[in-house]
Amino acid sequence: MTNILLLNPEIILACAGLLILLSGAFICESRAKLLYHLGIISTIAVLGMIITQALMAGYGTGTMWVIDPAAQFFKFIVLVATVFTLMLSVNYTGIRARHIGTYTALLLWASCGMMLLSGAMDFIYLLISLELISISCFILTGFEQKNPRSAEGAIKYFLMGGLSTAVTIYGISLFYGATGTTNLFNYATAVELHIGDPAYIMGMLFILVGFGFKVSMVPFHFWAPDAYEGAPTPVTAYLSVASKLAALGAMMRIFASVIPHQEINITMLIAILAALTMTLGNLTALFQTNVKRLLAYSSIAQAGYILIGLVVAGPIGRESVMFYSLAYLVTNIGAFAVAMVVAGKTGSYEIDAYNGLSKRSLGLSIVMVMFLLSLAGIPPMAGFVGKFYVFASAVNTQQFLWLAILGVLNSVISVYYYMGIARRMFFVGSEDESPVETDIYAASVIAVTAAATLLLGILPETVMRIVKSCVAFHL
Amino acid sequence: MMLSHYLAVSGILFTIGLFGVLTRRNIIGILMSIELMLNAANINFAAFNRFLYPGQHLGQVTVIFIITLAAAEVVVGLALVMAIYKNLKTVYVEKYNILKG
Repeated sequence: MTNILLLNPEIILACAGLLILLSGAFICESRAKLLYHLGIISTIAVLGMIITQALMAGYGTGTMWVIDPAAQFFKFIVLVATVFTLMLSVNYTGIRARHIGTYTALLLWASCGMMLLSGAMDFIYLLISLELISISCFILTGFEQKNPRSAEGAIKYFLMGGLSTAVTIYGISLFYGATGTTNLFNYATAVELHIGDPAYIMGMLFILVGFGFKVSMVPFHFWAPDAYEGAPTPVTAYLSVASKLAALGAMMRIFASVIPHQEINITMLIAILAALTMTLGNLTALFQTNVKRLLAYSSIAQAGYILIGLVVAGPIGRESVMFYSLAYLVTNIGAFAVAMVVAGKTGSYEIDAYNGLSKRSLGLSIVMVMFLLSLAGIPPMAGFVGKFYVFASAVNTQQFLWLAILGVLNSVISVYYYMGIARRMFFVGSEDESPVETDIYAASVIAVTAAATLLLGILPETVMRIVKSCVAFHL
Repeated sequence: MMLSHYLAVSGILFTIGLFGVLTRRNIIGILMSIELMLNAANINFAAFNRFLYPGQHLGQVTVIFIITLAAAEVVVGLALVMAIYKNLKTVYVEKYNILKG
């Protein structure tokens, strides 16, 4: 059965991207911002489709891809991140008016790739969705052509991305050699024949490299700080949230569910990498003086925390990953939005630009403190509840208790650098006391994410009920 | 010719590619090395298909997909190389050091 209709949301999004790209060639420059709105509207329309199909389940083209509540959940996250990103881009000055069509179209296609990725059940399908994401994101990162930082970030991202793709493809070829299929569906029966087959083990490790790159897992994280610093800020927010969480969703399906983890002890490897990821991310963030770089290292550390849930696996691990993803989505986008507004006024992403921000815009500094508290995992913010669920799932297993302990220690370290920004905003003076204005688009993004950060923190039960209903994989 | 011959060639190609990516200073050289690694995977797919699973076409079809992906990727890569060359006037990666820390 082909079931191509199940891919309707993705197809519509891709067509909207094409339409926007074409109209970008004809629209006059003074009206080019309409294209952002067109992008926002089409993304919201697709978001509506995803929500109405939230409980659907089915396979397409044999078992090439799957639609299940878990996949729909990650599609939801990606689309929300896309809407926020487009809204932040509207008044971002780095993108020239005649390129807005291309920019919006690439964002929509990257999101389309992420939506495909979250339902992938076949390595060929997975590879193509990964490449769709990668290629769009490479271009988006280098979008400020005249800015050498943007070009350098993009080229570093591209080289690391190209290498990890090549390694992943080689891994898939070994997997194919060992099992005779690239499909994950019949895999449970196939695997029993191939346990201990070196080609199979090497294949799985190589495939892990590709995912490690996407979620910026240590030791494949080197691109992240450079790409994040160089990219236009809305794109940075997008990369740090959407592409990371979509890859985590797919990783959850492949490494924690489809492949029975007691059969091949890849779980322990991911556990060690998770521990390294959060520790290294946090320790390096301590020494950063550029806010975008600091948030980049912090997002590496956050990926480490989420990986704990992935290691634990099972329904409990999965629901903690999903809740954390939601909390991370609103918090991180909000933090980058504030960073963008502040840099729009001061022209700098250095941490000194935050000196005395509370006198220049009290609202912005209070909201930023909320985001920082949430990232550090302090109640009553969303990040606290997310961390609580993740660590609780690890404590439950006994085997991974050490990961929970390490996670808590890391959160303590992270408070230092997050609160360093808060201290500058409230307790350090600055010569320039001119107020910082927020344009209406950025303001609405910040308001929505701040409200969501608080709501997820004080009413986690309601959200958790929804997350619990999405946790099932349809296999 | 046996499967192991093909696998050896592909393994050697992959290693040469990986070595090139890690040691080359010229960015075009790195791009070429990545292409070598992709082609190593192609040889694997075709060889596994031919020798282990002669009844199916999956491996050969995948090769076509990978060739297409590699082409798309190299187009974007060369465009990015052009962009950075216009900015920094060099193709040597060790000169790309504005971003660090």
